[in-house]
Amino acid sequence: MLLRTEGIVFKSFPLGEADLILTILSYDGGFLRAFAKSPRTTKSRFGGALEPLSHIRISLMGKEHSDLPRLTQADIIHSYQKLREQFDCFLRISELLEITMSLFGEKEHHEGLFQLLVDTLNYIEAEKESDSLRRFLFYKVRVLEKAGLSPRLQGCARCGISVGTFYFSEGSVICSKCKDTIADDNRTSGARLISMGAVNLYETIRTWSWDKLNRIMPNDKLIFELDSFLNLHIKYRIERGLKTRDFMYKTKTLATSSVNADKNEIV
Amino acid sequence: MSYGIIETLVSELMRLPTIGRKTAQRLAFYILSMPEDEAKSIARAILDVKEKARLCNVCFNISEEETCQLCKDSSRDSSKICVVEEPGNVSVIEKTGLFNGLYHVLHGSLSPIDGITPEKLKLEALSDRVKTDTVSEVILATNPNTKGEMTAQYIANLLRPYKIVVTRIAYGLPMGGDIEFADEVTMGKSFQGRNVI
Repeated sequence: MLLRTEGIVFKSFPLGEADLILTILSYDGGFLRAFAKSPRTTKSRFGGALEPLSHIRISLMGKEHSDLPRLTQADIIHSYQKLREQFDCFLRISELLEITMSLFGEKEHHEGLFQLLVDTLNYIEAEKESDSLRRFLFYKVRVLEKAGLSPRLQGCARCGISVGTFYFSEGSVICSKCKDTIADDNRTSGARLISMGAVNLYETIRTWSWDKLNRIMPNDKLIFELDSFLNLHIKYRIERGLKTRDFMYKTKTLATSSVNADKNEIV
Repeated sequence: MSYGIIETLVSELMRLPTIGRKTAQRLAFYILSMPEDEAKSIARAILDVKEKARLCNVCFNISEEETCQLCKDSSRDSSKICVVEEPGNVSVIEKTGLFNGLYHVLHGSLSPIDGITPEKLKLEALSDRVKTDTVSEVILATNPNTKGEMTAQYIANLLRPYKIVVTRIAYGLPMGGDIEFADEVTMGKSFQGRNVI
């Protein structure tokens, strides 16, 4: 069976002498894994098409429902080479890719996920590096929503009225009156107070249309607060820390305040 | 004849990469038909490599002694260090005969998404060498892919305080290739790195 589609290369894993196993987010079929024969040789017909972030048009050959079809053709639609050449920027994009891979399973199609990533990459490529910080945040909010794991920041999950503290175990804000309904273990597993500014920013990103988000220019403090909160929420949901985040700590790409914020989750 | 020992040899050969049962069987029967001396020579070579091979304490290339022959060679230019990802890359560069400096093998490349962080590579040893030795140039010959490029950028930043020249090997089209089949990234890099002739 021959499958032709578009995709973005997320990850490659070397196999044997010169082969690769690729993880690709396809336009219409979610994450796919594919086998590419000899792309690591200098005269490979794939050239630089199979590098991470490449937006490519691909042809796959394999039995129907094959777990590892063979990649027979890959033509670059857009290489995003500029993003790959900026260390810090590529590192932050790698974090987005890792989050996406952690939240969505193989061959699960989610409407709009592919376009969300393409739009985000296009904006980051076009904007100044300082302006693009907000794009990473926008992507995290939107991708959590697509995965059905958006944190609830407005109104207590029990009574729906009062404001309170966010409990990671509940994925929601719980007011002081309803706090006692949370199991003891969950109550101590992590909670955080979130400022109204961050809540408003989050709701705006979540509800406004993607095109209108251009108008939002939040300050760095607010971006940082919401981003570090979302990182903890993601960590709780996927039940592990992100390798890319760990890489950022070790290469000192993150500011010290960011590192502390990631660790400081208990109120 | 008992097939027990043949089966054991087949199973052992199958541990090697890219060797499946069929190939392992073919190799096992070939070894069986070999003169005893040749078979022993192969077995001895495997044992030797496991017993004697170690990493050079200077460049981390594979060596039989504490310091490899390349690092010991006083005729080589110790002011130039070529950084490569794997020990296999050293022999490829040596074959060109165009580089007479020393090497530094990282044993991998940085990959945030796979959790390959700087402390997993021989990067600290590289900065120690640059600090102490009389190095004037570090040539970054990591692979021309995203991981290799990222590693090169990281090393360039790491070595910036030492005020030495850090260069990157050129990108472009392979010899014997055809422009018609080149992708835009490779072609773009070739144009960026063009030379006056």
